[in-house]
Amino acid sequence: MRFKSTTGLAAIVTAAALALTGCGSGGSGNSGGSTNANGKVDGTGKTLNVLVGVLSQYPEQQKQWQSDIAAKFKAETGADVKFETFASANDELTRIQTSVVSGQGPDIYGLGTTFTPTAYATKAFVTLSDDDWKAVGGKDRFNQAALGISGPDKDHQAGIPFVSRPFVMAYNKDLLAAAGIDKPATSWDELAAQAKKMTKGDTYGIATGYKDNFDPWKFIWAMSVQAGNPLVDGNKLKMDDPTVKKAYETYFGWLTNDKVVDPASVGWSNSNAVAAFASGKAGYLMMTTSSSIPTLDKSAIAGKYEYTLMPTIAPGETQSKSDGDAASILSGDNLVVADYSKQKDLAFAYIKLITSKDEQLNYQKTFGDLPANAEALASLTDPKLKPLADAAAKSKATPFTGAWGDIQLGLLNVTVQSVPDLAAGKVDESALEQRIKDAQNKGQASLDRASKG
Amino acid sequence: MSTDASHEVRPADTAAGRAPRPADDTGRQPGHKGGLRRKGLSERNRPLWMLIPGGALMIIIIVVPLLLGIYMSVLNLDQYTLRKWISAPLIGAENFVEAVTNSPLLHAVWLSVSYSLLAMVVTLPLGIAAAVATQNAFKGRAVIRSIFLIPYVLPSFVVATVWRTMLQPGGIVDEALATVGIHVGLWLNGPQTFWTLVLVQIWASWPFIYLLALSGLQSVDHEVHEASALDGALWWNKLRYVVFPYLKGPLSLAFLIGMLHHINNFTLPFVLFGVPAPADVEVLPILTYVTSFQSFRFGLSAAMAFISLVLIAIPLFVYLRAVKLDDADTPGAKK
Repeated sequence: MRFKSTTGLAAIVTAAALALTGCGSGGSGNSGGSTNANGKVDGTGKTLNVLVGVLSQYPEQQKQWQSDIAAKFKAETGADVKFETFASANDELTRIQTSVVSGQGPDIYGLGTTFTPTAYATKAFVTLSDDDWKAVGGKDRFNQAALGISGPDKDHQAGIPFVSRPFVMAYNKDLLAAAGIDKPATSWDELAAQAKKMTKGDTYGIATGYKDNFDPWKFIWAMSVQAGNPLVDGNKLKMDDPTVKKAYETYFGWLTNDKVVDPASVGWSNSNAVAAFASGKAGYLMMTTSSSIPTLDKSAIAGKYEYTLMPTIAPGETQSKSDGDAASILSGDNLVVADYSKQKDLAFAYIKLITSKDEQLNYQKTFGDLPANAEALASLTDPKLKPLADAAAKSKATPFTGAWGDIQLGLLNVTVQSVPDLAAGKVDESALEQRIKDAQNKGQASLDRASKG
Repeated sequence: MSTDASHEVRPADTAAGRAPRPADDTGRQPGHKGGLRRKGLSERNRPLWMLIPGGALMIIIIVVPLLLGIYMSVLNLDQYTLRKWISAPLIGAENFVEAVTNSPLLHAVWLSVSYSLLAMVVTLPLGIAAAVATQNAFKGRAVIRSIFLIPYVLPSFVVATVWRTMLQPGGIVDEALATVGIHVGLWLNGPQTFWTLVLVQIWASWPFIYLLALSGLQSVDHEVHEASALDGALWWNKLRYVVFPYLKGPLSLAFLIGMLHHINNFTLPFVLFGVPAPADVEVLPILTYVTSFQSFRFGLSAAMAFISLVLIAIPLFVYLRAVKLDDADTPGAKK
């Protein structure tokens, strides 16, 4: 018995400790590749390990794409590609931590853009030199906006853009027309006014999910940036700025003052909002990406909806105060090469292949994500993709700091803790101020550590 | 959660393994005399070397991580120092000071312990009642017993996902309550989340108590039932003075394991409420998770884990002494 109770006690710590120390992972015990006479990387007999996120919407297509690209890469370099996938951000993090600590694991990682600063902070990934950039096909081949979150400055970049997934809003053409609205809103004030006109019975002007794990901070970030507050200014966090409070008031106000969203949306995530919009019960669907196309095209409103940029003029303003429009956070996937990799040239050759114009267009066709390759992006002609491409070009990067994870969590937490007030119909001003203040303090402490780190 | 699984299985084995034992002996002190004799036998020439493989595993999977965890708790370990973590700056007790004075740790400990205790206090009578109700054979008993086990065999993730769906605003629970005129408000946000967590935990974990209570009931001799019937004991007296003493061992065990399991339960609150969790359900595992994997303060979270380990170990130790579960001579812990 004594043994067992010890086991029980240890479990708490073990759970944490095991996750951190990791049990090691299958390494790539291969030696470096060499370049042969015609400038191609010769990787005969070698295996490149690539870790990417699982595309749960397209499991079959992803497998197909992986085996196709592996065949092409083999033809080009003679090396095999072995894909591993992670199912969630948490999964990915665990893999990265394990690899960072043990110095072995995949050669290439696919990372979400907002996670890139954190990954960069570990210094476990290659900061690309000019030669490295040449090896992946040159910096010029990429959509320059997509490079915005590759590193802290132009000379220190680790993230190589792979795809863009900018955020836009969708609108129901019929509902807008019925309310006498001839074009979608370009400012947040106008959006609320239009939404009021469309709200009738069980039809609401706006569909959004207040309980989503990401959306809320994106709204607050966007409205703040558009009002001229980029949230992080050097080593100072500016969450206590009035623009942030105004952003929360506007975002919560859709429910409490304007009453243009379904009261049930306090419990919704983004997918609930998509479903509400798909059933034709909402004028606008906020904060969505091209990944909603498959759902919407199969729904009652197929052919009756269109995408457009989200408003770029902050609440209470008449023009955007940000440099650049900040139509969306810079969103998508970056590729990073592990510093411990012994076959970096092979890794760069692979990245060169999958960021080429043809492969990027092929990927777009299959999965809907926009190309990070500038030429490929420019060649898209489908009118439905036009606003998405626009948003990709007008995307703005979130602040590049290792503290961003904490700041994002703080922004989101203000909404989480306000949801009960929201459901009751009124968010108390002093309570909101207190929550913002807490988030400011925690975020600032995190920024302080980042500047020391 | 593999550690949880091993908790759940092993004690059940122990309980089941000891169940037939009292049949060999008579009276309320099963195995006392026999125990002494056997002890003499078993202590001679015990092949202790056979413990080596298991012992080595224990060291690798429990002792080493535990020591690493303690070492980590005195390091300033975050995403900036993770890569060369062995040489991360040593900051002594700073993490501990921060954890106690400037983090929600104590609040989290309070939440964890109170929610576990509440869930336990409710599941105990539920489990015992269910075990007693299915003790005597009746038509369809096997089916009922199987149904009772459903919440226990469902993975935590499934339980939490289903409950989350049912408890959504305007979800099936709200609608059902609305038909009888009750409007409860939010289940998954705000102050009520604590009670949601307790409720779902009760639903998911009472069959565990039921299982152990059942195994205890199986060990009550037929003769004992007969004897008490002859003495004219009615059902309550019989239950209170004849049957319950048999349950003391298994139920003490169930209480202990159940508490540890609840305090360690990460999946349920994580899936039900997500992160960042509403302040009223920021229980220990969630707090440790957020500190580690959202804020990347590995050192701080190791300190938090260590403090909570100590905080839980003290009452646990007292409890172990009190119920003598760790004493080989008492019925609760036959080997």
